Amino acid sequence: MNEQIPDSFEERGRRLFDASVENIDMRIRSRLNQARHAALEAAERPRARFLRLPIWTSAAGVTAAGILGIAIWLGSPLIHTTSTIAENQTSNLEDLEIVASTDDGAGDAMEMLQDDIDFYDWAAEKSAATESGSVG
Amino acid sequence: MPRFATLSDAWMAWDGPAPAHEDAVVDQTRELDKFLAEVERRAFRIAQVSLRDADDALDVVQDAMLKLARNYGSKPCAEWRPLFYRILENGIRDLQRRRAVRKRIMVWSPGPKEDPDDEAQDPLDSVAAGGPDAPELLMQAEAMRHLESALRALPARQREAFMLRNFEGMDVAGTAAAMGCSEGSVKTHYSRAVHTLREQLGEVW
Repeated sequence: MNEQIPDSFEERGRRLFDASVENIDMRIRSRLNQARHAALEAAERPRARFLRLPIWTSAAGVTAAGILGIAIWLGSPLIHTTSTIAENQTSNLEDLEIVASTDDGAGDAMEMLQDDIDFYDWAAEKSAATESGSVG
Repeated sequence: MPRFATLSDAWMAWDGPAPAHEDAVVDQTRELDKFLAEVERRAFRIAQVSLRDADDALDVVQDAMLKLARNYGSKPCAEWRPLFYRILENGIRDLQRRRAVRKRIMVWSPGPKEDPDDEAQDPLDSVAAGGPDAPELLMQAEAMRHLESALRALPARQREAFMLRNFEGMDVAGTAAAMGCSEGSVKTHYSRAVHTLREQLGEVW
């Protein structure tokens, strides 16, 4: 390794600097502390917004919107009176399948399930217990 | 107990660990806090040596912390130190450039303002209060003062190399990353800085 071992001159410089750091007054220390917290808070803000919308929300939202759109469209009386309905139905159902099976979305959902598997076990147990309680 | 109507309700009732991605963010923030707490005072002193002004040094350090947290907080912890010092050195250089321009435009400008806190944080003041190590502290304060003025007389790149390598204890590769130059340049700047400082301080040290 090429790292040089510091001689006494360099060592002395380092010790003097360390001592001067120790001598920083309380006002400066306090301001540095405040600045650090402000920096961390500022960095946290966009993350906090992101946390409120978990990763899988976008995939789930797109899927839900697709299902709702298809349901409304299929339920419309117009659908039975136009000649292109069958084609459109097929095409929209295909779209729905594509949306629902998007690799990214599916990956996110599976990742979420793997990450929080304890939580989902617990939630399933609680729900099962509640159901059996209400039946019995 | 009612059945969970939504996933959010279930999360509200769950008293286990937070979701994994949230945990990761909290861990990263804690690490960043630890890192900044570790470097903030040293960074302040490095900035103060270059800028000769406590408030300007505080501004530059605060700005560097903010930029690191915002732009590089998600980077691996090992990359933070060179990134932080690169931001800090850029901030110091920007401020020095602005001062130089201001000085050129306003020849009647008084130059770097006197720091009213200089006296308050002068180690000599605490020495004056007395104590068993007073003579030693007095000598240290005096020696540091000489070192600081010798450092200010160095070319900026040599000063940066010396402060990052010697004061901050960074290795050549880290210093090169922080200074945005090659490792060879760091070695050259550092050795020239040490040579000049030794020449200048030889008599008083």
